[in-house]
Amino acid sequence: MIPALTTGSGAADAVLVVAPLLAPLAAAATAAVLRWRLATGLVTIGAAGIILATGITAATRTVDGTALTIGNWLRVDALTALMLIVIGAVGIIATCAGLGHLEGELERGHIDDTGAHLYSVLVPLFLAAMVLAVLANNLGLLWAAIEATTIVTAFLVGHRRTRAALEATWKYVIICSVGIALAYLGTVLVHYAAQQAGVAEHGSLDWTQLSAHAEDLDPGVMRLAFALLVLGFGTKAGLVPLHSWLPDAHSQAPAPVSALMSGVLLPVAVYALLRYRVIAIASISPEFVRALLLTIALASLLLAASLLITQRDYKRLLAYSSIEHMALVIIGVAIGTRLAIAAALLHIVGHGISKATLFCGAGEILSRTGTTSIAEVRGLLTRAPVLGGAFALGLAALLGLPPFSLFFSEVGLVRAGLTAGLGWAMAVMLVLLLMVFVAIAVKASGMLFGEPATQPRPTVRTLAALPFATAAPIIAGLGVVAMLGIVDWPLGPLLHSASLIAGTP
Amino acid sequence: MSNGLYVQLLYLAVGGLLLSSVLVLWRRELSAIVRLLIVQGTLMAVVALLLAIERDSIELVVVAAEVVALKALLIPGILRRVLRDSAEARETEPLINVTASILTAAVLTLVAYGISRPLVRLAPSIETQAVPVGFAMVLIGFFVLVTRRRALSQIVGFLLLDNGIATTAFLLTGGVPGVVELAVSLDVLLIVLVLQVLAARVRLTFGGTDIDELRDLHD
Amino acid sequence: MTPGAMAGVLLQVVLLIAVAPYVVGVMRQVRARLEGRAGAGIGQPWRDLRKQLAKEAISPEGSSWVFTAAPVVLLASTLVIAAVGPFISTASPLDRVADLFAVVALLLLGTVALALAGLDTGTAFGGMGASREITVAALAEPTILLVGFALSARVDSSNLAAIVDRIQDNPAQVLSPASVLAAVALAVVVVAEAGRLPVDNPSTHLELTMIHEAMVLEYSGRDLATIELAAALRLTVLLGLWANLFLPWGVATSASPSALGIGAAVFVGKVAILAVALATAEVFMAKLRLFRVPELLAGSFLFGVLAVSSSFFLA
Repeated sequence: MIPALTTGSGAADAVLVVAPLLAPLAAAATAAVLRWRLATGLVTIGAAGIILATGITAATRTVDGTALTIGNWLRVDALTALMLIVIGAVGIIATCAGLGHLEGELERGHIDDTGAHLYSVLVPLFLAAMVLAVLANNLGLLWAAIEATTIVTAFLVGHRRTRAALEATWKYVIICSVGIALAYLGTVLVHYAAQQAGVAEHGSLDWTQLSAHAEDLDPGVMRLAFALLVLGFGTKAGLVPLHSWLPDAHSQAPAPVSALMSGVLLPVAVYALLRYRVIAIASISPEFVRALLLTIALASLLLAASLLITQRDYKRLLAYSSIEHMALVIIGVAIGTRLAIAAALLHIVGHGISKATLFCGAGEILSRTGTTSIAEVRGLLTRAPVLGGAFALGLAALLGLPPFSLFFSEVGLVRAGLTAGLGWAMAVMLVLLLMVFVAIAVKASGMLFGEPATQPRPTVRTLAALPFATAAPIIAGLGVVAMLGIVDWPLGPLLHSASLIAGTP
Repeated sequence: MSNGLYVQLLYLAVGGLLLSSVLVLWRRELSAIVRLLIVQGTLMAVVALLLAIERDSIELVVVAAEVVALKALLIPGILRRVLRDSAEARETEPLINVTASILTAAVLTLVAYGISRPLVRLAPSIETQAVPVGFAMVLIGFFVLVTRRRALSQIVGFLLLDNGIATTAFLLTGGVPGVVELAVSLDVLLIVLVLQVLAARVRLTFGGTDIDELRDLHD
Repeated sequence: MTPGAMAGVLLQVVLLIAVAPYVVGVMRQVRARLEGRAGAGIGQPWRDLRKQLAKEAISPEGSSWVFTAAPVVLLASTLVIAAVGPFISTASPLDRVADLFAVVALLLLGTVALALAGLDTGTAFGGMGASREITVAALAEPTILLVGFALSARVDSSNLAAIVDRIQDNPAQVLSPASVLAAVALAVVVVAEAGRLPVDNPSTHLELTMIHEAMVLEYSGRDLATIELAAALRLTVLLGLWANLFLPWGVATSASPSALGIGAAVFVGKVAILAVALATAEVFMAKLRLFRVPELLAGSFLFGVLAVSSSFFLA
């Protein structure tokens, strides 16, 4: 099942495994003590930087198929390293934007000191929970970490305490808790199947053990378990049928938090499914796994496409686009060949970074125009060239235009799908993608080029320029997405190595 | 403990769990519903304790103690506070009336029996025979969650769901490994605390905890 | 049929008839005492019956034979149950007839006869009472069938005596979830069928709430006495059935005089305890509004379903 691998566990490797977890925890502790100030913001950015750095270092160590472990609990392989890189990269963009965001909110009086304090503690905790989820080798721990993200983000989504924010938070917490509870039921069933199959008691939720003994697990139980897991983690990834929290939460959360949620939280849930797929594919029929995932993914894509067409709010537009992209990633997981998995992972990277820049850009647009309505934002390119330009490029990346990496990952998906004999699914996918393209392009052109239909508000004739701290990571992020599209290096070997772990030949 | 007595007591406790879930659908007074949750938490601890005695497991005794502390004392205590603050004693108008809810519960029980058949078939034993009850609790909890409109009722629905899952875990495997069990319990407690705070905010902002009021966000 | 067995059946019927009005009397007395009244004494229903029996029955103008036949059908159907059911002994020669489903059908026959009589009078109250009674019966009937199914599934027989015998041999079954759920479900149905609180208030004559009383409003004299006796007998029979199905101890398994004597004494004791318990509970209960009655009966139906399903998966 798993490609030949050696397990490294030297002291330096142990540091590599623990560092990305401890860095954000330390940042949270710092913020708890020092409260909100520039220094705590910088420490949080530093923590995100450490996650990225350890992700890259871990990638160089694991690209040959090595896995670094601490006991049975934590494990870093190429797949984990890739996820760490995404978390780190998106984390840097979001925490940088967070600096400006908090200052602005404090200035306008939307939040008070306590609110800023809470925000600066919860964001690094959020990062830590996601890092723990990708590091976990124990499936119970993986579940608990993903559940913890719900708890940590609850007060981030409702940070502004408006009616709408409160409504979004309530829906978010209730729906995600239920979804994730179903995933727990699935985990329990896997545990049961493992126990009956004689996988040792202490290791019966151990991913390494389970994937090694997956053939022995009872197919009847595993089928039920996998369906529950797809439903449960699918909730967290914004897939139908329990997706309705996503547009509300993403549109109401502060922009940097939306960036983190869309850019990494959703992929972390998909990552959990990717891990479970390795077990499921060996214990139950691959057709069942593929049919289940494909159905849910195409339904989500259809939902996203149809709601994008009628969308009037640009933050919700971005939220539905996240559903669309997660659906694409799940289609890749459903196809399941190595090419498809590599494409899906590249898609996660590209989508994560470009969506993070877009949400941060959207946050800046909101703070300058005071509206989230697409119709009320007009002529962005002339009124704020840098912001408008970055937003336009981000949308171009999101729509899968070359040279951005999303173009290449989508092409990779289609190729993998055709090779796997899923021509009809690819045809449906492309039609829906075309709908999405038209919908977003029409809305975006109005926002970027359109003339204001009514008398513009006197204060917003020209918009304030983007501060450097926010602009730099946004532009750098877009540059990275473009670069990933053009050159194979440095991600290529890592993607290959990760697809060996999660993909079937 | 003799085998016959063990089976008798286990099935009685499990039957009580199912009964208490169903009664949640029946009762309109929120305080009565909270009392039912206390009963349910206690019965779950009884199940854990019976398993502990049967398997001579100290770990399960600890788990039983933790279940009592969490599900029979701590969480109902939090719910009581939500109730006391909100001054809304009754679930006024569930989306589906009580008669239909009760009949739905009957159907859900049969559905639970149907979907849990592969689990029973894998390892038929005294404990796994009772697993359909856990699934029925999960389904009933889900049903409460989607048809009730008070904030507290929705929390209750979530807790029913969670109790159902925990019951299933006990019956199938004698509970998940200790560390995971601890993490799960902590998560549930934190979720309930978060929901408590949110319910208070909803009440302050909307002047009531009717979740139907939450309809500003839509497409 | 041996003389001993004949005597047993005879004893059972006579005992039930004799005891029935006292059951009603006890319940009224308990209520009265708990509500702080002196009460009329437990013999009052018998005294009422004696008085009514001495009076002439009057049929309302325009009513047909249905009206006059109904009390007789009601009393006769109830008497059949009283004769065949395993109240005192499970060794009665009529036991083969005492099928759970036959008993349910007999109960329904009485209900339908009375409802038809209520309609036959052509008055507003009669029709209203009949329609309500049939609604309640229609909702209660499925529950009885389900409970019967749950109870007979473990015995592989729907014969009442066989069920009682089996539980007596195997007392641990009384506490099985199936049995407990069935007991709760049947208790609700007994309350509904006997027309007690919270489904119907036997002592009310307020037009908005009455069910049973609305149907029998036009009866007088001997006919009224017949109906009152039948109603009391029905209550006793239902309580007795419930007691023996779920707490079967003391029921005679042979036709020997001593066993029958013990059986009779235990039966009277059990019914008395249940009657007191029911009356006490009624003091603390308000009548449900009519449109909430289906809720209660749906609940008992649910318990029936749960009893059946748990008798399968927890067995």
